[in-house]
Amino acid sequence: MSEYLLDMRGIVKEFSGVKALDGIDLKVRAGECVGLCGENGAGKSTLMKVLSAVYPYGTWEGQIFWEGRELKARTIRETEEAGIVIIHQELMLVPQLSVAENIFMGNEITLPGGRMNYAAMYQRAEELMRELKMPDINVALPVMHYGGGHQQLIEIAKALNKKAKLLILDEPTSSLTKAETQILLDIIKDLKKKGVACVMISHKLDEIAEVCDTISVIRDGTHVGTRPMSEMDTNEIITMMVGREIKNLFPREEHPIGEVIFEAKNVTCYDVNNPKRKRVDNVSFQLRKGEILGVAGLVGAGRTELVMAIFGCYPGHHSLEMTLEGKPLQVNSPKDAVEHGICMVPEDRKRHGIVPLMGVGHNITISTLPSYAHLGRIDAEAEMHTIQQSIARMRIKTATPLLQIRGLSGGNQQKAVVSKMLLPNPKVLILDEPTRGVDVGAKYEIYKLMFELVKQGLSIIMISSELPEVLGISDRVLVMGEGKLRGDFVNQGLTQEQVLSAALGQSDQSLAA
Amino acid sequence: MSSVAKNVKTLFGKYKVLALGIAIVVIWSFFGYMTMTEDGSSFLTSRNFSNLLRQMAITGMLASGMVFVIIAGEIDLSVGSLLGLLGGLAAVLDATYKVPVAGTIAIVCFAGVLVGLLNGYWVSYLRVPSFIVGLAGMLAFRGILVGLTQGSTVPVESEGLIAIGQAYLPAKSGYILALVLFAVLVVISLRTRTNRAKYNLTVAPMWQDAIKLGVTGALIFGFVHTLESYQGVPVPVLILLVVAGAFSFMANSTVFGRRIYAIGSNLEATRLSGVNVQLVKMSIFAIMGLMCAFAGLTTTARLASGSPSAGNMGELDAIASCFIGGTSMRGGAGTVSGAMIGALIMTSLDNGMSMLGVETFWQMIVKGCILLLAVWVDVMSGSNER
Repeated sequence: MSEYLLDMRGIVKEFSGVKALDGIDLKVRAGECVGLCGENGAGKSTLMKVLSAVYPYGTWEGQIFWEGRELKARTIRETEEAGIVIIHQELMLVPQLSVAENIFMGNEITLPGGRMNYAAMYQRAEELMRELKMPDINVALPVMHYGGGHQQLIEIAKALNKKAKLLILDEPTSSLTKAETQILLDIIKDLKKKGVACVMISHKLDEIAEVCDTISVIRDGTHVGTRPMSEMDTNEIITMMVGREIKNLFPREEHPIGEVIFEAKNVTCYDVNNPKRKRVDNVSFQLRKGEILGVAGLVGAGRTELVMAIFGCYPGHHSLEMTLEGKPLQVNSPKDAVEHGICMVPEDRKRHGIVPLMGVGHNITISTLPSYAHLGRIDAEAEMHTIQQSIARMRIKTATPLLQIRGLSGGNQQKAVVSKMLLPNPKVLILDEPTRGVDVGAKYEIYKLMFELVKQGLSIIMISSELPEVLGISDRVLVMGEGKLRGDFVNQGLTQEQVLSAALGQSDQSLAA
Repeated sequence: MSSVAKNVKTLFGKYKVLALGIAIVVIWSFFGYMTMTEDGSSFLTSRNFSNLLRQMAITGMLASGMVFVIIAGEIDLSVGSLLGLLGGLAAVLDATYKVPVAGTIAIVCFAGVLVGLLNGYWVSYLRVPSFIVGLAGMLAFRGILVGLTQGSTVPVESEGLIAIGQAYLPAKSGYILALVLFAVLVVISLRTRTNRAKYNLTVAPMWQDAIKLGVTGALIFGFVHTLESYQGVPVPVLILLVVAGAFSFMANSTVFGRRIYAIGSNLEATRLSGVNVQLVKMSIFAIMGLMCAFAGLTTTARLASGSPSAGNMGELDAIASCFIGGTSMRGGAGTVSGAMIGALIMTSLDNGMSMLGVETFWQMIVKGCILLLAVWVDVMSGSNER
């Protein structure tokens, strides 16, 4: 028997003539955690789909050896039975079903006649919860009662219940808070001790560094290298990923900051389902011309709700006063906001950003279509001219502007969404998690663009959950916690600790320490 | 999968119209062969072609409105009943109130838009699912129609109204229209070329555009020539062609059209891009209402009477035409030309089977199977994958 649990050799996967994977090798030992790194579109997810038979045997070339024998799985069920379980970036839980029902989905314990054996399932589910150090979870409650972090752990419980020998985690922490992330990382370490192997895909290199034993880097579908984590640091990983050295992650540039251009006063938003609960509680702030205002806070602090209210798309009851360039501003819909010069790039790109079936170009011009039209008829050439300018300016990588946007990588989709929101020539640009799920190279380009824009006099509000990003980019930082404004700092000598303790609030500070 | 099969699949995925064209050729060849006598095939005659198109006109009008409703991710089940109601209204206005023809047409069209707006308001502002709004309308409109006509047929007297459904354009005038249309296409093609050059975009070689225009011209001429060798271009067919042309233009080249596709593909993203999605949705239903008015007037004119059962199951023919024509069930994709070919396929089946003396129950079974088969092929081609 080979020393490897998993041995993928020379994997080649083509999509209509384009090689997404070009001879990738990946080896994993039992009880080892391998970090799979690469820019967006490098082929990480494709490789994992090959492994888990989302792309069945025969649709790709190369060999997979599993516990020494060649694996020719054609269905996900076969790979799961072998012990390979993938946890996707988007969670695959049914929110209305209970925790236990989700854990046993497809593997239900039954009584004669096909009835569900709830007693046995609850017992096993509780066992799994204890194993994952979450004894407080009520396995009979619907999954939707629990937040993203807990749901991620429920997914892991589901995988463990399938007797997983190899766990594939695709961006597991992208929607988790710092504390939840730590719990997850601890569990991965625990699992390693029990002999469960992991492949972890993540853009957060410090997390990779913490749990992974080996790093495998792929770039443009080719295997760049595999090295033990003990021999390298995160900077080296970045260099391997992008194939060039990025000296400074945050290309900070000096820019003049002018007078107050925008002001929001007494923003209060009530929960859609629970009108007594305030999601945003009486928040007021000012924004200056040419300023980048970072908004930090933990998940659920009310940051997204705040900007949704400003952009006129908060679904629940809310109240606020705004002034733009000294004049009072009334915004009842995103249409109003865009017309008055406030644009927003939403957090959830897939649900709120892109129009998947339309071309990249047509996505870029949605907001500004009437400006290329005479009496409702679009001047297709004038439109295409603008599209090509935008694509060139943002360096969006696409074969043609007509290609459906869903075929692009996350980073390029994001660039297209940002282009769309720049065409109306906004005075205030709101970016909600602009670099989430975006690779290092595209991140750098988005930062460069932000500085270019503020130099031209645009003002930016940037929500970000990554503290280094907030501190690396912003001129001023607002900190929110539990719907309240907990801090308004000028970003000079500001530290991550200061921001974090403000976000947690005075009462919680002892807990954080 | 073999590479040939794969290439065929991509080709059909890309050019759905091609696959549909082949389907028509197969269906026509089949009926042409089956109706063969010593004097040649009775299906493949200019007389039957003219009939076929006249039969298709009503379904085609409904389908050209329905295709936008489906692209926007909605459905409208009330169109058959609304067609009947508006047709009945036309008959009553004409027979009972002696309203002049122009007045009748204006009132019916206005009523169609109004009812469409009402449907759209329920769907888009009051957020009742369109399936339910349609179902409610289907019942209610039919009820109003039966009440209005008191359950009996209302004969129409004025020649002008009947002409909408039964008349032909004067002989040879079809050729003139064809020539004008061709000239317009040439001008558009040339203007596109100069405009692309103006913005430094790549201009396709002249011969490519010339071939495209040549083929289109030949098709237009063949079409008109066939109709002219019978009695000329039927008025309802002309109306359908104008509607289909205008709607194709709307889909491809207008702000409104683009927004319909955007809404169908991702409503939230479109709203957050600063588009008034509710207004667009309501307008789509208004257009659907107008198409019901056109179809209602044509039906009444064709039968020379308003009937309480007119347009029964019309919504199903229209919806089937859209789906056969490759409109995505989940919205966001579809074409007017596809829906037109879908309507042509449905009508060809009706017409051909009637000629062969196939019993009505068999016709229904065959049409059901064809709808299922067509959508299956569409799903298999993978063009609607998300």
